[in-house]
Amino acid sequence: MPESSAIPGRGEAAPPVTGSLVRLPELEPKVCAVIRRVEAEDDSMDRLKALGICIGRQVELVKRGDPLIVRVFGSRLGISARLADRVLVEPCAGRCECPDGSKATT
Amino acid sequence: MIADSPLANARDPGATVSKSHRFTLVLAGNPNAGKTTLFNALTGLRAKTANFPGTTIECRIGRAHIGGQPVTVVDLPGLYSLDSSSPEEQVAAQAVRGRLSDHSRADAVLLIVDATNLERNLFLVSQILELQVPTVVALNMMDMAEEHGLQIDPAKLQLELGCPVIPISARYGTGLDMLHREIARLAASVAEPVGFVPPKPACTGCSGCPFQARYAWTEDVSSRCVAHAHETRGRRTEKIDQVLTHPVIGVAAFFAVMFGIFFLIFQVAKIPMNLIDGFFAYVATFAAQHLPEGLWSSLLVNGVIRGVGGILVFLPQIGILFFLLSLIEDTGYFARAAFVMDRLMRRIGLPGKAFVPLLSAHACALPAIMSTRVIEDRRDRLVTILVAPLMTCSARIPVYTMLIALLFARSPIKASLTFTGAYAVGVAAALTMAWVFRHTILPGESKPLVLELPHYRLPSLRTATLQMLDRAAVFIRSAGTVILCISVGLWFLASFPRIKAPSPTASPATKVEAARDQLEHSIAGRLGHSLEPVLRPLGFDWQIGIGVITSFAAREVIVSTLAVVYGVGSDVAEEHPDSLYDTLRDARRSDGKPVFNTANCFSLLVFYILAAQCLPTQAVTRRETGTWKWPLLQIAYMTGLAYLAAFGVFQVLRHFGFA
Repeated sequence: MPESSAIPGRGEAAPPVTGSLVRLPELEPKVCAVIRRVEAEDDSMDRLKALGICIGRQVELVKRGDPLIVRVFGSRLGISARLADRVLVEPCAGRCECPDGSKATT
Repeated sequence: MIADSPLANARDPGATVSKSHRFTLVLAGNPNAGKTTLFNALTGLRAKTANFPGTTIECRIGRAHIGGQPVTVVDLPGLYSLDSSSPEEQVAAQAVRGRLSDHSRADAVLLIVDATNLERNLFLVSQILELQVPTVVALNMMDMAEEHGLQIDPAKLQLELGCPVIPISARYGTGLDMLHREIARLAASVAEPVGFVPPKPACTGCSGCPFQARYAWTEDVSSRCVAHAHETRGRRTEKIDQVLTHPVIGVAAFFAVMFGIFFLIFQVAKIPMNLIDGFFAYVATFAAQHLPEGLWSSLLVNGVIRGVGGILVFLPQIGILFFLLSLIEDTGYFARAAFVMDRLMRRIGLPGKAFVPLLSAHACALPAIMSTRVIEDRRDRLVTILVAPLMTCSARIPVYTMLIALLFARSPIKASLTFTGAYAVGVAAALTMAWVFRHTILPGESKPLVLELPHYRLPSLRTATLQMLDRAAVFIRSAGTVILCISVGLWFLASFPRIKAPSPTASPATKVEAARDQLEHSIAGRLGHSLEPVLRPLGFDWQIGIGVITSFAAREVIVSTLAVVYGVGSDVAEEHPDSLYDTLRDARRSDGKPVFNTANCFSLLVFYILAAQCLPTQAVTRRETGTWKWPLLQIAYMTGLAYLAAFGVFQVLRHFGFA
């Protein structure tokens, strides 16, 4: 998969899904992924979205487990695994290229 | 008590809205963006805590003189988005829209933005700017952004947002003069609305995610205004977190931190507590000596002074607890504590965030209940409030000490095991009851964890000090008045009807005897007698019954009551506790058997572990929940639980011949 497809469209609908989707808790740690689908909307999901877990965003799993830690934008979020299970992501090659140099250096 | 409409009080009392309306600025922003630090920097000590009208949601209101103008600053609860479902965030969202209460309105928004996390923070910024209310953006933590190699162009951001953007560092006070000037300008002109063009999503509605377009915009703006040189943000935090969020080491670290807090509370608080205790004892003696002996002097000494002293003595513990909690909170550590405790707490139906309040309850239930505000979900919070008083607070220690001295005077090992066991029973009861409430009156799972793990930073002593002073004031206001009424009421129960007082020249022994007869003759004494059939199955005689009644408002009172009932005299008991223990040990029933035996000491111990016996707790619960329903339930279930458990313990032990 070309690197560019990992970067979500700016202000446009997310590009078509090309890779296979995995649930967020099953994502390999330190691998960049784009959020493609969110199941079962409710209050907790809205909270997650307000914190940046929303379709088209890049996330990276920092730490597996329950609860797990993900990174979205520059911030790190602790999320209950049962909530993260409802987030489907498409992994891309390498680490995130979101504006957070700490990752790009590795 | 807390004023009913504090936000209206934020203005001059009696002022009409149009004439002398103070320019009111609401301080909004994401949690962890440094709101409290900026608020303290703007208002300092001229701030007080109040509730939003008709809610139990707190905010801080302060006055400041900015550019020669009086300005009211309201610190809102932190929020991530304007359309959140949590009550705190809804209140904050309403305030941002200009409505503080029926009588007061906000004139402008001071929006604080974390410069190290611009993209996420801009989400809320875009929502607020769309409201077209006068807004100033304070770009906080510029020092940290620079340190981590983020180069932010505030002028560019100002152009993008169409409203003033002031780079500041609230922690170090940089940029505040510029912020003052901007606020003054806003106040003088009563500000024009911002010229913000809302982000236009290329395709609204087709994605089904209203968040998506907004995030695309924040990413866009951020990429135009922020240059990343060699960025190092979050590396240190990540390293520390590898340890502190570890499922095993993290939990151990958390207990170590809490142990440190308790050590400080009990060691450091001892000094001011002894001073306060000594002071009130001195005032009581002074009053007793200089007032003519009689009813009024007794009311003043035994009702008012003892009552007030009895509650103020806990103030140092509460102050130190809040000081340390605020200090640790400021570092960002508690998010990690909630993170590691979440999985364990979930099993009994509580969120990880409930753990700090529950542990704090081991010092005193009052600050614990006050600190449950960190729990967002109402049900999660109610369960925590209901069970927190079951934890062994420091007021139980004198009672445990007395009973354990009666049980195992000669075996320090058995004594310390019993002491530890008493703590364990409290914890087990609290966790069990939490599980029970979760499956009965407050059903459902606890809210799944969604928690930002902010970057670690150095805490601010100033914030912690202000927080401590504020909490102490809230504590005195909400518990103080109730305590005063209760202790006067209990004094009345223990002093009426009167019997003839001994002459002032009578011997101390006669006076002690007279005090005992007076108590026995009083309403409390008669209640003790009439309660005897109910308490008998627990192994309590009527003397202990009097103790249970007089300690209804404050459990530690049972020690001095027993001293009076058994004729030791409360003063002697305070100075020489051993003489009290000896007297109690030697006390005999009419059939010649000792009053206190293994069975009823254990039964009394279990009763005092579980029984409510602390009305200030109910006063604070009332304040935090907004109704009397929950504090009444608290008393009812705790007393019921205590009764049943003490009954069980006594009957079983008696069966095995320990009575």
